[in-house]
Amino acid sequence: MIGKTMSVDAVVAEITKDTVFYDESCGGVTISGGEPLMQPSFLIALLEACGELDLHRTVDTSGYADTQALLKTATCTELFLYDLKHMDPEKHYRFTGVSNEKILTNLKHLSRQGAEIVIRFPVIPGFNSDAENIDQTGAFVSSLPGISRVNLLPYHCAAVAKYKNLGLNFKTADIQQPSREYLESIARRLKNYHLEVKIGG
Amino acid sequence: MTPRVAVLRQQSFEAQPSISVERAVLVTQFYQENYGKYSTPLLRALNFKNLCRKKTIYIDPNELIVGERGPYPKAVSTFPELTCHSVEDLNILNSREMTRYLVSAEAIETYKKEIIPYWQGRSMRDRVFSQVPPEWTAAYAAGMFTEFMEQRAPGHTALDGNIYKKGMLDFKEQIARSLTGLDYLNDPEAPDKAEELKAMEISCDAAIIFAERHADLALKMAASEAEPQRKAELERIAATCRRVPAHAPRDFWEALQMYWFVHLGTITELNGWDAMSPGHLDQHLYPFYQKDLADGALDRESAKELIACFWIKVNNQPAPPKIGVTAQESGTYNDFTNINLGGLTRDGADGVNEVSYIMLEVIDELHLLQPQANVQISHKTPDRFLKKACRVIRKGYGYPSVFNTDEVIMEQMRTGKTIEDARQGGCSGCIETGSFGKEAFVLTGYLNVPKILELALNDGIDPLTGKQIGPQTGDPSKFRSFGELYTAFDRQLQYIADLKIRVNNYIERMYAAYSPAPFLSVVIRDCIANGRDYYNAGPRYNTNYIQCCGIGTVTDSLSAIKKHVFDENEISMKQLLAGLHNNFEGQQALRLRLVNKTPFYGNDDDYADSIMQRVYETLFKAIDGKPNTKGSSYHLNMLSTTCHIYFGKKLGASANGRLATMPISDGTSPSHGADRKGPTAVIKSLGKMDQIKSGGTLLNQRFLPGVLEGDEGIENLAHLIRAYFKLNGHHIQFNIVDSQTLRNAQAAPDEYRDLLVRVAGYSDYFVDLDRNHQEEIIARTEHESF
Repeated sequence: MIGKTMSVDAVVAEITKDTVFYDESCGGVTISGGEPLMQPSFLIALLEACGELDLHRTVDTSGYADTQALLKTATCTELFLYDLKHMDPEKHYRFTGVSNEKILTNLKHLSRQGAEIVIRFPVIPGFNSDAENIDQTGAFVSSLPGISRVNLLPYHCAAVAKYKNLGLNFKTADIQQPSREYLESIARRLKNYHLEVKIGG
Repeated sequence: MTPRVAVLRQQSFEAQPSISVERAVLVTQFYQENYGKYSTPLLRALNFKNLCRKKTIYIDPNELIVGERGPYPKAVSTFPELTCHSVEDLNILNSREMTRYLVSAEAIETYKKEIIPYWQGRSMRDRVFSQVPPEWTAAYAAGMFTEFMEQRAPGHTALDGNIYKKGMLDFKEQIARSLTGLDYLNDPEAPDKAEELKAMEISCDAAIIFAERHADLALKMAASEAEPQRKAELERIAATCRRVPAHAPRDFWEALQMYWFVHLGTITELNGWDAMSPGHLDQHLYPFYQKDLADGALDRESAKELIACFWIKVNNQPAPPKIGVTAQESGTYNDFTNINLGGLTRDGADGVNEVSYIMLEVIDELHLLQPQANVQISHKTPDRFLKKACRVIRKGYGYPSVFNTDEVIMEQMRTGKTIEDARQGGCSGCIETGSFGKEAFVLTGYLNVPKILELALNDGIDPLTGKQIGPQTGDPSKFRSFGELYTAFDRQLQYIADLKIRVNNYIERMYAAYSPAPFLSVVIRDCIANGRDYYNAGPRYNTNYIQCCGIGTVTDSLSAIKKHVFDENEISMKQLLAGLHNNFEGQQALRLRLVNKTPFYGNDDDYADSIMQRVYETLFKAIDGKPNTKGSSYHLNMLSTTCHIYFGKKLGASANGRLATMPISDGTSPSHGADRKGPTAVIKSLGKMDQIKSGGTLLNQRFLPGVLEGDEGIENLAHLIRAYFKLNGHHIQFNIVDSQTLRNAQAAPDEYRDLLVRVAGYSDYFVDLDRNHQEEIIARTEHESF
């Protein structure tokens, strides 16, 4: 197994080492993964502990999670970074192994509960960056209450070396990294839906 | 950059440092005629006056600020009364690859015929080395420490604002008052003081003569100048040189020229290492800037041009050539003029002003080797200034370095300075704390702390030579606990530190007796009032520093021994010692275990960091408060300059897995490649060192340009600096690395473990990326360097 088992206290101890940096830069904690909502009770305990320390809390999620757990998480989280990979359920299934239905429903629930959310859209040429999907994404996000920010995350091949080191085959190594111009064209298209779009994030 | 500045800059940049024997010849002739006729202070002052009267003077067709130490830019004077170079030394200087100085055949001939025959056995270096005890010589040869006064005079001075309010004629009045007030009936030192004060008086005259000669030359040039604008400039130069340094300056131009004449005076009188610094130059110039702007005598652009002209003058003065160990501990042309920007004023207000911003622009546009500039960041410093500095840092020149003014003040308060004197202090040389214009803060030499541990691991014997250097502290394989090893280390340290201090005190008296600096004494507070020389407790404060090198290496080595030998009993001391003696040959597994399974300093890991704290405290106790010969004491400093490379050459393999002869860690930075958790963890580790008890620490951090891209990069850098200073960090500086370094990183990834690179929207360690990614980043970086 890679990694190690840690208690909430141990993670909090590690987090508080950097208090001076959070204070100085108005920063805080981002809990990502894997998928943090795979371990909801640990996640909530950790978020509550961070709350006691007055730390700003961000959860980075794929949205593929138990709805109740997600909504409970929202009671102790200041900001969600929420991935939207594709609007088409079938394509989503084909590339990620699961349908996007739950993800989209969860996002609706979360937005209705008033959570602060930034949408993260990984730009993967040949998969999700066609005009149709961009338009659908823009329309969907702008229909949700209180969400206006989208970050475009350009696809990269940084993991190739790590996969190789682990003796694994990196299936998408042949995908080209999107150019700056390409990303800007997608940003422009999304801005038609009155969204604040940032490249990177 | 104005066209004038562009021309001057290019000339200065391209000029090859060369040796000028003019000073050596003048000094030798003077000593031949006059030695024995006067007291030593008078002899030194008259020698200085003779130089000011006779040395070749030079005014470049383009310049506004005038005066050179040598006969022309980058022609470097020698100081045979301190160190008389041999013919072999001169040949080495002329041919060595690094920091070469051109030496003509005539110069070598002059040395052979005139200089060497007189100074052999008479130079300070010869006098010092003929007197030191054999145990000192043995430790020195083993690379336990270096000695700053071995071929340079004690230096390290920076000025306060006094010279902008008083001219040499005003100082002469003060000197006369001090002379009149001497109490020959009750003060046994009165006759000595009289000699010193008379010497100061002569030195003031000498500086005025030097300026007058420039005024004459400028007028002569003006007379034959056809171009009306240049003719007017030359007349202005002449008027300025008639005014300063005899009188206090009245405007911006005169103020810069005033400082420059004083600077040249001090570096002509003697070769004090770390030349001379103007201290808080932005604060000193600001009243003149305001006044000139209000009068319409100056605008921002012309002020900037004058500052640029001044900057180039400093760059025209490479350090006098160093040889032997001194060349290794400080192998650079840089003569360490370090200008402080920002900070606090005397009354505690924010010291940043418009001149501070102009100076940041000048260092950015000129990016020359000298002078160094640093920014002093206090809790009151506006973010705008810090960020403007960060934008210059991002260019990758390695400067400005960044200091924590609040910390620098606390360090001085701890050693008994008044709050006003502390605020007017700052950092000069590299990172050394001192009260500008009021203190002799003398660096005495570097201490090889990892080598001290090596002695403890070898019963006091230097394993490289087999000689007994330190006391016998026991066979290390019989140590039953880490505590016993540590006690041995502590005993070795006490012995070596005391040996160093003992001989330093002796050398200090040699300089007071044989080589006083009366001109320098005029401009450092209280020397006139005390009737004492800068080298003889004249200044208000008199500090000696010993610079301890390699805290990273020694901490990591102790951490390795503690963990593997004593805590976990998985490596025996015998096994470890055998590995060290064989430089880990055939013991790669042992070495890798030490490298990869030891908690190292710089990762915010208390196991290692608590050892660092203990070593630091032990160093502090061994050095801090030990008396010097000036009624004051020694303090700890944590600087290494380039000495960590020399000390590494003198050190066998160390227990942190470092191979023999490789560099030890620099300043207070973690060992090369040991810090694997990013810059925030480094800063956290450094924050555990009680830096207030030192006279300065040094932290190097290295980033790729991409890391600091955009406004966000600048924000992040500024936050990092503020966070470190909140943790009482003294200093931090940044390398923004180039392609060559990345190529080296590819060749030797272990040494570049800590090199962060910006990959896309995130950063990663360079050596963790695959070759293609590395290539891609190298290509990108090259684009960015244009």
